[in-house]
Amino acid sequence: MNTKRTVVVLGLGLAVALLAGWVAFPRALYSRRHQPLEFRHKTHAEKSGVAECSQCHALRDDGTFAGIPATETCAGCHSERMGTSQAEALLVDTYIKPGQEIPWLVYARQPVNVWFSHAIHVKRAALACAECHSTYGESDEVRIYEVNRISGYSRDIWGHSISRLRRAPHEGMKMSDCEDCHRRHHLEVACLGCHE
Amino acid sequence: MKVTRRDLLMMGAAGTAGLLVTPVPWKLLDDVSIWSQNWPWIPQPTHGPVEVKQSFCTLCPNGCGMRVRMAAGWPVGVAGMGSHPISRGALCPLGYGAHQLNWHPQRLRTVRHRSNSASWEEARAAFAKACREGPIAIVDGYPGRAASSVFETFAQKRNGSYRAVLGPETRALVPYESWSGVPAAGLGYDLENAQTIVSFGAPLLDGWGAPGRFTRLWAERAAGLTEPQLRLIQVEALLPGTTPSRTATRAWQWVPVYAGAEAALAGGLARVLLDEHLVRARGPMPPMTIAEAADQTGLSTGALIELARTMVARHPVVVIANDGDPAIAALNVVLGAAGARGGIVRRTKLAEPHASAAADIDSARAVLIDSTVPWDFTPPTNVEVFRFAAWDGGSCTADWLLPAPGFLEEMTDVPSAPASAIETYAVAPSLLKAPPEVRSAAQFLGGIDSALMPTEKIIHARCADLFRGRAGTLQGTEATPVKKFASVQKLEEQLWKGAIWIDEPPRFAAFRCELKEWPASVRPAHRVGSSSVNWSRTWCAPVLPPLASKLYQESSLREAPEGRNV
Repeated sequence: MNTKRTVVVLGLGLAVALLAGWVAFPRALYSRRHQPLEFRHKTHAEKSGVAECSQCHALRDDGTFAGIPATETCAGCHSERMGTSQAEALLVDTYIKPGQEIPWLVYARQPVNVWFSHAIHVKRAALACAECHSTYGESDEVRIYEVNRISGYSRDIWGHSISRLRRAPHEGMKMSDCEDCHRRHHLEVACLGCHE
Repeated sequence: MKVTRRDLLMMGAAGTAGLLVTPVPWKLLDDVSIWSQNWPWIPQPTHGPVEVKQSFCTLCPNGCGMRVRMAAGWPVGVAGMGSHPISRGALCPLGYGAHQLNWHPQRLRTVRHRSNSASWEEARAAFAKACREGPIAIVDGYPGRAASSVFETFAQKRNGSYRAVLGPETRALVPYESWSGVPAAGLGYDLENAQTIVSFGAPLLDGWGAPGRFTRLWAERAAGLTEPQLRLIQVEALLPGTTPSRTATRAWQWVPVYAGAEAALAGGLARVLLDEHLVRARGPMPPMTIAEAADQTGLSTGALIELARTMVARHPVVVIANDGDPAIAALNVVLGAAGARGGIVRRTKLAEPHASAAADIDSARAVLIDSTVPWDFTPPTNVEVFRFAAWDGGSCTADWLLPAPGFLEEMTDVPSAPASAIETYAVAPSLLKAPPEVRSAAQFLGGIDSALMPTEKIIHARCADLFRGRAGTLQGTEATPVKKFASVQKLEEQLWKGAIWIDEPPRFAAFRCELKEWPASVRPAHRVGSSSVNWSRTWCAPVLPPLASKLYQESSLREAPEGRNV
């Protein structure tokens, strides 16, 4: 066997592996799901006068984070249809009138052994929402929810970049991301801080 | 071009090597590790609203304040309550993992009679028969609660006896009980106002009293300071092959003496203090000379004299013993620390004296042991034993093993912590519904004698007493004086939500010890190599939650007791 043939064969094997690893694997790893309902942050901010994230995503008196508002909050304006769109009909007829909660697919959902306090990060550390959530609060659509077929968690946890290189500051919610941020701010990183 | 077998092998090898520089192996490793956390047979807390409730730890009599994080009505995390006057936001490793205990594999769920399954009716019939046939004894590990009152009433009605298992902190105060007439349970150490603390082997930084009490004090007034505001002198033997305790290594001064020579040292120090008129007291004079004490302790005469002078250099000074040795307690009387600010104080409310469980109960027909009693407690008798416990710690010698409510499954009141200088009262609400197959000892006795007052009514009566007393403050999310409450219902409502009642600061004048002669030590002196009291051997938990095991094993917070697999 000559050297040229060896190089070609090895190169071919390498190329196939690299293509499979960097291109095919990320596509195969995540499945794409649509949110149950269309929602526009931008429209709500402009038309409803909602100026602060905390007006809907509030902290309770005891410091816990209320998360995504319940349909009871939506019913404040949408008790009856406010337009003719299909999403409006779905919201009112399927969720608000029967009193059903919307099964949102949560991009930031973490394992149950993880405890994250929005109150500490927002109030004590004075972090702006955009530092972690980017400009999502100004978006005009809900993103596709990409779920990891193996772990069952959102792609947002790992970050969009499969190599985790050149990530934007708000990308990624792995434990190492929490640790890196805490170290950058010279804060204590202890197990019990997040895992109870 | 013909593709040969060799080509395929080479391509495979190149592909394998190429995969190593792609994210495939690393990402798969990460995803599979997360996937394995979500196997269907691994219990997961229910998703639901998260709320934080205030309660109190009932695993030991210190009653530390806790903030319990509940998800969908189930506790998923425990943290300390910063506003608690004693624990001040700290918890022990067992407390931090206590929410895991109810799911421990050794959780008791069935009545057992000599290792066989039995029913509650059979247990009740057996205990009722024992009550008819002779006196019974009831042993309590957490005296002062409403349940303790039920035990005492039941025992009194049947000519039985009520016994309390006292912790080492309370046992160390027992000598003052006989000298002053004040029950040991009503005494405490005013550590917060002391400037010098002389500890005779008490593990102050290793798990003495409520976890946060001394450690917080130490952090604020001593740790890292060249000239600390609080001087800790630790008298502690160093046995061959062992390392000094955390308390000894961090103390302002560590005084290594022969094992078991603490009482001799106390006598020697008292002798110096009295001979040199370093204290106001003129007696009682210890029988040994300074030279004899020095010989028994392994210190030089000069070192012993210097230690006595150092002790009184900064007042107030208080001596803390690790057990009830009267010779060490007498040193506090000589120092004038009994009944003084920064010394041993009487809390404003007098506690009831309780006979020690070590007292003779051989004449009893049966002994009922509450679930609050440490697992390794064995009554000094061969009579029929009814043992309540939430977890089976193994090697149980009781005739009857009765499943008790687990952590947060029983509503109970929380009296003052042992050795605390201030009186407190709180109610730990039941945050979880107890399984139908468990009963508390008070419920069990109520099933035999329906005339007994239920614990809920006793707690209500105690709340009414607090309201009528109009003294102290209720510390909840904010501090509210009791006199500002309009009704007992309002006060009770706050207590049930996790507030704690704190009495006025103690008055130091109403406690006086009468000690005519220097008391004999209860322990003979030993030289190096002999056994000594090791506090860690007296510590006993029937089971440990996984989180506590991890904390114990990985952080060297406390050395595991010998022979106990954590």
